[in-house]
Amino acid sequence: MAQPSAREGYDIAYIGPPMADPVLQHSKETYVLFGCSYCHGLYLVARGEATDLMHSRLVGRDENGKLIGPLLRAGIPQTAKLSPMPQFSDLSDQQIADLVRWIHYARQQGRYKELIEVKDADAGDAAMGKAYFDRSCASCHSTKGEFANITKDSNVLRAQILRPQSLNVPPSWRLDRLNDTKTAARQRHLALLENYSAEDVANLIAYLRMK
Amino acid sequence: MILTRRRLGRLALAGIPGLAGVSSLIGQPTGKPNRSYVNGVQFGLQPFCYHDLAMTPENRPTLVKRLVQNEMGMVELHATWVEPRFTGSGVSPQAAREKLRKWRLNPPADHYANIKKEFDDAGITIFTYYVNFDDSDTDAEIDAIFEAAKILGAKGCVGSFGLEVAHRLAPFPGKHGMFASLHNHDNLSDPDAFSTEASIEKGLAYSTDFKATLDVRHFTAGNGDCLGFLERHHARMSSVHVGDRRKNNGRSTPFGEGDAPIIEILRMIRDNQWPIVALLEFEHGTLRPEVDEVRLMFDYCKRAIA
Repeated sequence: MAQPSAREGYDIAYIGPPMADPVLQHSKETYVLFGCSYCHGLYLVARGEATDLMHSRLVGRDENGKLIGPLLRAGIPQTAKLSPMPQFSDLSDQQIADLVRWIHYARQQGRYKELIEVKDADAGDAAMGKAYFDRSCASCHSTKGEFANITKDSNVLRAQILRPQSLNVPPSWRLDRLNDTKTAARQRHLALLENYSAEDVANLIAYLRMK
Repeated sequence: MILTRRRLGRLALAGIPGLAGVSSLIGQPTGKPNRSYVNGVQFGLQPFCYHDLAMTPENRPTLVKRLVQNEMGMVELHATWVEPRFTGSGVSPQAAREKLRKWRLNPPADHYANIKKEFDDAGITIFTYYVNFDDSDTDAEIDAIFEAAKILGAKGCVGSFGLEVAHRLAPFPGKHGMFASLHNHDNLSDPDAFSTEASIEKGLAYSTDFKATLDVRHFTAGNGDCLGFLERHHARMSSVHVGDRRKNNGRSTPFGEGDAPIIEILRMIRDNQWPIVALLEFEHGTLRPEVDEVRLMFDYCKRAIA
């Protein structure tokens, strides 16, 4: 997809060049326009006392704005911080959805970068890895089936755990792609990516290398 | 209207209350008007507005350049533009804090004087030095901060702190011939916070050397009455932070889209000739380069008092 060019009055130095996906670009601009980036950072590196959305448990648990949306609408008036989180009750549902989309996208990008750079990727605990696998992966994957001959290279394994190659396709609005199994799997893995700890990944690697 | 020497003379002859304050704010020995003194209101910038610019000593030259681009002759300078950072990987917060304390007590010779010169050379007056005092500050450190502010040319210190810290701070500014200004946020749930008129009044009562920096955005978001506050407390105010927000803990907006009575505030300052500095500071988002956004907001203010 061709890279769109920046328009006049667009701060390319701060917001970055327009993204190939116009939906994501619009979400990013909405996040900037309503001032979220001022406190929480464009790429979720928080400023001052703002909540760290990159590591917030609430953001990690959120699915399609079910938790973030009501919080944005109500704000957090009761707080120990100097400035309470404002309420955004006047925003449209679409605008809230855009904010949520950018927060999750930026978190996925940031978490991937954090986790792919962790040293000692093969220092995990296999038993803990098995427990994680049984809890979160076994409903779709099997170590006796598709993972029976999986690579033992911890770096390759880690990259696959964080961002499975087979799911790394651009989103499509084709009707037969909207709700197919691949799209659902992609969503599932993106949610996992937002919540993996470095230990989770190391443990999974240790378990899968044993198989 | 630009405040010329002739007009200053006329005001002096007329015995306008607050003139001494205006004169001292301008602070130019030659009587040359400050470039952001517009139609009776001294404007300046709280450079939080440059969202994209990390507030570090390394970025200070860019800050100065941008202030000039934005026709600002006055600034509220946060300490993070001035002091070195000791935080980093492998340094505990406690160790970093201790290093900062030691540095504050023994800063390099001429550190602050050289910074003042950077701003002086660009025609910018440092109005206030912004330091977030807290209970980790020692007495010697607080004294050192006020001395630093004085060398920078500031009239006082301002910061984000609550009643308890303000109470402890009370004896310090007077010792240095300065003021400390109480800056409100909008936390109505914390009894220690400066947020309501009553909480600011309580803080002001701690010391005659205390003034108020009314943050118009936060006060509006906390459903405060900005115009009533100015009417009742203008004599104890050093500045207003000018920005817009919606009430009921609402979001920040571009000027004119929220509930803050910006035009009325600026006209009140102008018409009463109060020496209250209007420091632009906003948190609303923009897709424009920040210098362009500051220019737009400053133009809005200029039109308000044209």
